[in-house]
Amino acid sequence: MLGGFLVIAYTLPFVVGYYTGNVILDLQWLEDLTTVILNGLMQGGVYAMFGAGLTLIFGVMRILNVAHGETVMLGAYLTWTAFFMLGVDPLLALVFTLPIAFGWGWLVQKILLNAVVNGPELTPLLMTFGLGLVIIHVVESIYTTDFRTIPYFPDALRISENIYVGRNRIISFVMAAIISGGVFIFLKKHRIGKAIRATSQNADVAMVCGINIYQIYMITSGLAAALAVAGGALVAIQFGFNPETGIFYTLQAFAIIVLGGRGNFIGALIGGVMLATIESLISFMLPRGTDLVEVAAYGLMIFVLLIRPQGLLGVKTDY
Amino acid sequence: MSQKEHLRNLGILGILVAVLLLVPPSFSIYIRTFSMFMMLYVVLALSWNIISGYTGYISLGHVIFYGVGSYVTGVLMVKYGWHWIPTIFAGGLVGGLFAIFIGYPVLRLKGPYFAIAMLGASEGTRVIVSVWDSVTGGGDGISFPNIENSWETYHAMLALMVLTIIVSYWVGHSRFGIRLNAIREDEVAADSLGINTTFYKMSALVLSGIFPAMGGGIASYKVLYIEPDSEFFILVTIYMKLFALFGGKGTVLGPIIGAIILYSIQEITWIKFPTAHLIAFGIFIILVARFMPRGLMGVAVDRGWVRKGMVH
Repeated sequence: MLGGFLVIAYTLPFVVGYYTGNVILDLQWLEDLTTVILNGLMQGGVYAMFGAGLTLIFGVMRILNVAHGETVMLGAYLTWTAFFMLGVDPLLALVFTLPIAFGWGWLVQKILLNAVVNGPELTPLLMTFGLGLVIIHVVESIYTTDFRTIPYFPDALRISENIYVGRNRIISFVMAAIISGGVFIFLKKHRIGKAIRATSQNADVAMVCGINIYQIYMITSGLAAALAVAGGALVAIQFGFNPETGIFYTLQAFAIIVLGGRGNFIGALIGGVMLATIESLISFMLPRGTDLVEVAAYGLMIFVLLIRPQGLLGVKTDY
Repeated sequence: MSQKEHLRNLGILGILVAVLLLVPPSFSIYIRTFSMFMMLYVVLALSWNIISGYTGYISLGHVIFYGVGSYVTGVLMVKYGWHWIPTIFAGGLVGGLFAIFIGYPVLRLKGPYFAIAMLGASEGTRVIVSVWDSVTGGGDGISFPNIENSWETYHAMLALMVLTIIVSYWVGHSRFGIRLNAIREDEVAADSLGINTTFYKMSALVLSGIFPAMGGGIASYKVLYIEPDSEFFILVTIYMKLFALFGGKGTVLGPIIGAIILYSIQEITWIKFPTAHLIAFGIFIILVARFMPRGLMGVAVDRGWVRKGMVH
């Protein structure tokens, strides 16, 4: 099933491209294709960051944080401010934006979500939706709706004459790999990381074992916000962003955790890379593909939810 | 509820309609347009309430039906030269069919997944509408021939609002509505008691898709210009959800009162505080979801201001 899905998802753009005349089997085209796939792969690092935070929150608390994309957008603006107002290198800025983000996630959890986390599952959904609205318009009133970006190593690294990768994309992929690797080791080895995994497996038993699960919820939420803000920093150095793009990141993050299995950290990383490569194939193959890229995430999400609701790489759960 | 009470409620609705019909000739175009849009939001909030209030499937992408309806009206009127009234009904029909098309996959999902899938569907439809420019005019949108029509659209919207209120009232008081409530409370139990949950969920989604589509058609004829970003604007979803939640989801009176109060507030505030009023609305959603999950009507019933049956 998984294999079949992968084959379909990756060959469909080629088939459509063939019928619309965008597949020309010559050297030039193959080189372009390699470029597109490489860039998509590198872009996957950012997407993995989007998905990792959301999947952590979902795995531990079983709530979907609709304000996740807005936190990513907030991270992009924090980095932008650090770069243009204070002149700090975007990656160096992570040293102080990540603690801010952790504190933010902690506070949101403590003030808003801890009270409703065990109630009806739609209350946190509505509350994070309201929170997202607040974030969008607070940012909009400070920074206006102009599109912004940070010019950070915008030149391309040429592998051969026609095959090249944006240098900022390589940097962001490496950063994403380092950060998610660090979080993974933290989850596996550290005492608190183990407590987080225990809570996600069974909150009641974790509580009986002496874990303060509300504390764990706050730490998880802080960690997720930090991952989102790190994703935002990587967005800032390679895409344009404005306050309204947050919702798109939310939807992409959902598509990613649906692909990778909800609550599955490694799955989210793989899902991010998969989504990015499929998107870049679509934008390359289809007529007007760059406009249709957005639909890829939604279509993929709905399709996977229908054929395999537990996610392509996920284990089977009750829902 | 007794027959007497149904008659009394019908009487109240009749008086409301009579007031709305008789007073406006003296009103300015501004007031007329404002009341028309308020009635539009009553329609939208009530429709959202059918799928999300009664059935418990929170939709975060309900603007999809509004947008589809306004595009059906726009395309049929401008490209095919139809009269505006049949295009409204065509919009309602397409809205209902579209609900089936969307609902067939999406209604299998539950809780938050349904909500997110609807959000994704509405954003995806917006992109497709803006790319499919041979029919929809793409990002340039569709401009209608310029005419003054605040009077006819006012009446059309009034008729649509009355229709929506009557249908919502019927849903709230029939076996159909009770079955929807059963699905909301426990879908598996409802299924095991012999309720065809798939059929009822689909019917609820279709009902809640028809009226926004017709309302979108009337509104686009009033505004005389449609484009993907404004017709599939997520703010429309936010408003209909917030109005229904504030008034009290799962009741008939709640969404009506919520839409009237909050739409008036937003009309007064948005010109002076274009961003701040949305921040306030966001905080408001959080507070309502946290402290007033059953809305104004829930508070009113708890405090004993009204009897439970009166708001349904």
